[in-house]
Amino acid sequence: MTATTILQTKNLTKRYGTLTAVENLSLQVFEGQVFGLLGPNGAGKTTSINMICGLLKPDSGQVLIHGRPINDHDANIRARVGVCPQNIVLWNTLTCLEQLEFIGEMYAVPRRVARRRGEALLEIMGLADKRNKLARTLSGGMQRRLNLIMALVHDPDILVLDEPEAGLDPQSRVLVREYVQSLARQANTFRPKTVILTTHNMDEAERMADRVAIIDHGKLLVVDTPEALKRTMGEGDVLEIEVNGASAERGMAAVALIVPEVSTRDHTLVIRARGVVEMLPFILDALRGADVHPGEVRLRANTLEDVFISLTGRRLRE
Amino acid sequence: MRLWSVFRKSAREQKRDLMVLALSLAFAPLFVVLYWMMTGGTGSTTYGVLVINDDVSVMQANGSTLSAGEDILEAMRGLTYKNGSPLLRVSRVTDRAEAEAQLRNRGAAILIIIPPDFSRIIRSTLEGGEPITTLVTFVGDLTNPYYTLAAVTTMTVADQYIQAASPRPRLVEMIEIPLGASAARTEFENYVPGLFVLSVILLVFQASMMVAREIEGGTLRRLQLTRVTSFELLGGITAWLVVVAVAEVLVTFLTAWACGFRSQGPLWIAVMVGIITSFSIIGVGMIVASFSKTVSQAFVIANFPLGFFMFLTGAAFPLPRYTLLTIAGHAVGLTDILPPTHAVVALNKVLTLGAGLGDVAYELGALLILSAMYFAMGVWLFKRTHMKAM
Repeated sequence: MTATTILQTKNLTKRYGTLTAVENLSLQVFEGQVFGLLGPNGAGKTTSINMICGLLKPDSGQVLIHGRPINDHDANIRARVGVCPQNIVLWNTLTCLEQLEFIGEMYAVPRRVARRRGEALLEIMGLADKRNKLARTLSGGMQRRLNLIMALVHDPDILVLDEPEAGLDPQSRVLVREYVQSLARQANTFRPKTVILTTHNMDEAERMADRVAIIDHGKLLVVDTPEALKRTMGEGDVLEIEVNGASAERGMAAVALIVPEVSTRDHTLVIRARGVVEMLPFILDALRGADVHPGEVRLRANTLEDVFISLTGRRLRE
Repeated sequence: MRLWSVFRKSAREQKRDLMVLALSLAFAPLFVVLYWMMTGGTGSTTYGVLVINDDVSVMQANGSTLSAGEDILEAMRGLTYKNGSPLLRVSRVTDRAEAEAQLRNRGAAILIIIPPDFSRIIRSTLEGGEPITTLVTFVGDLTNPYYTLAAVTTMTVADQYIQAASPRPRLVEMIEIPLGASAARTEFENYVPGLFVLSVILLVFQASMMVAREIEGGTLRRLQLTRVTSFELLGGITAWLVVVAVAEVLVTFLTAWACGFRSQGPLWIAVMVGIITSFSIIGVGMIVASFSKTVSQAFVIANFPLGFFMFLTGAAFPLPRYTLLTIAGHAVGLTDILPPTHAVVALNKVLTLGAGLGDVAYELGALLILSAMYFAMGVWLFKRTHMKAM
């Protein structure tokens, strides 16, 4: 079955003076997917989604939703998108249910429907008993959950989440993660949604996204499924061995005789190979033979962070 | 209807922020009470007069004693407003230096020194002798506005006394014809129309800050994504603020009424003037919000139009009008672009002079046009600055 494109960006560019925040960003998001925009802080993720939802006008390029360009004058097309901003944006002196009703009405949802949906959403987010509490009396985690469902009352086709797990406690994080995934899989009371989320957290992107676009300095570096992206790093697992800084080069030369794919990063030998665990005794012998004394040894699978590092030479959090 | 939803939301938010609502409702009534207290708690100012009476009584031909200085003091003490409250508070003093110190401290408005020969000269006039001049001295701080009123009043009393004593008829008689019921109005009552306008003018803060709160809190960005238009959003907020304006006018009126104010014309016209004026003030508030990103910024900017409204429209004190042109017999001045100017005139006509709807039609028309203009400008600017994708 061919996936339907619900959202497309064509050569989106946004500049602030001499700074190019987003440059020629072209993306295609398919219906019913969770699409992750992964990049370090300042990569242009928020600028991109602000253009996608129509809050920011691109200097050039276009955003198409269902093939129709998004613009200032077409509230109908803009209303197909629900946005959960990174910061908590609530009316402090309204109750949880009043906020949901009000924002629903602003999207032309009849009050009765908005109320019904609001109550359902509060139930899902574990806030049913707080329905009549003022937003300012909720804990930070609860406010974040309410912030998320504010984007859903009008039942949009596309849900845009800007750093959805930022500031969430572990319990809320699990709740939000599961709920976001259920949105795309129709496992809830609403129509299936396409979810676009921005994050600088590779775990979040890996766990939640069906496809991931990695961006840096406003440019799209790569876009694919997390598995496909990780596969580009090579087969097998990653073995990391901490060594003394001065002996790193010597260690790398010794290990390279056993495993061809070896590099150094932050006084650590990074060895990538299929069945690397079986090779461990030989690798350690080789290091000792080269008078290199190994420190901590870690074994892990390939991550999106590895993909990012291979593309930019930097870590996501640098 | 989204406008109605915004109205309901604004009302709810205000209801839960009772202190702000209470303070805004209390501000103008507080001014009413202050003005009432400034006018001596009677509705009219009693001017302090100090008198050094050096006059020496004299014996008249019929054997009676003439104490002209004392007589004038009595006449001054007997001078009252229509409501019976005294116009002058006369205090006898003997030490001039001490009296002048009181004037400097504004403990009194004027010092009057009656000379020793005052009664003797009056007696001479009564007995048909040659006119001789004597010198009554007025001492006071000429920059004190109370001085002029006290001096004029005292001169009038003295003049009337001397004229009554003189056998010669007056060359010129003057009569006074009060407009409407103005003769029966206390000084306090004359301030009240301006205070009504003040109660509405203060909405400029609330209007601009209410919108700025949406901007600062980021909720406006959320609303920008929805289908709500600038007109619906600002219209809903305005509708709520008009309710507040009506409440403010009514609370101000009730306070004034409790302090002795009585309207000469129908109150509903005054309320209508208040409502129409509130539209224009709220419109100005929206303009202020268009240039603000935070609540504190809106507060600072709102002071600018507030100053204009208070001091250039006659709301705080009467101002001379500079006519630029005349339209259908109505003089149009520069300050006529400020809606409170028309509101002050209309309210004066209704509350003080007992005018009806037809008498204030011009002012109401001007207010309607200005209100529509300011509100439209507010919506347009707000849309351009805050509701468009940047």
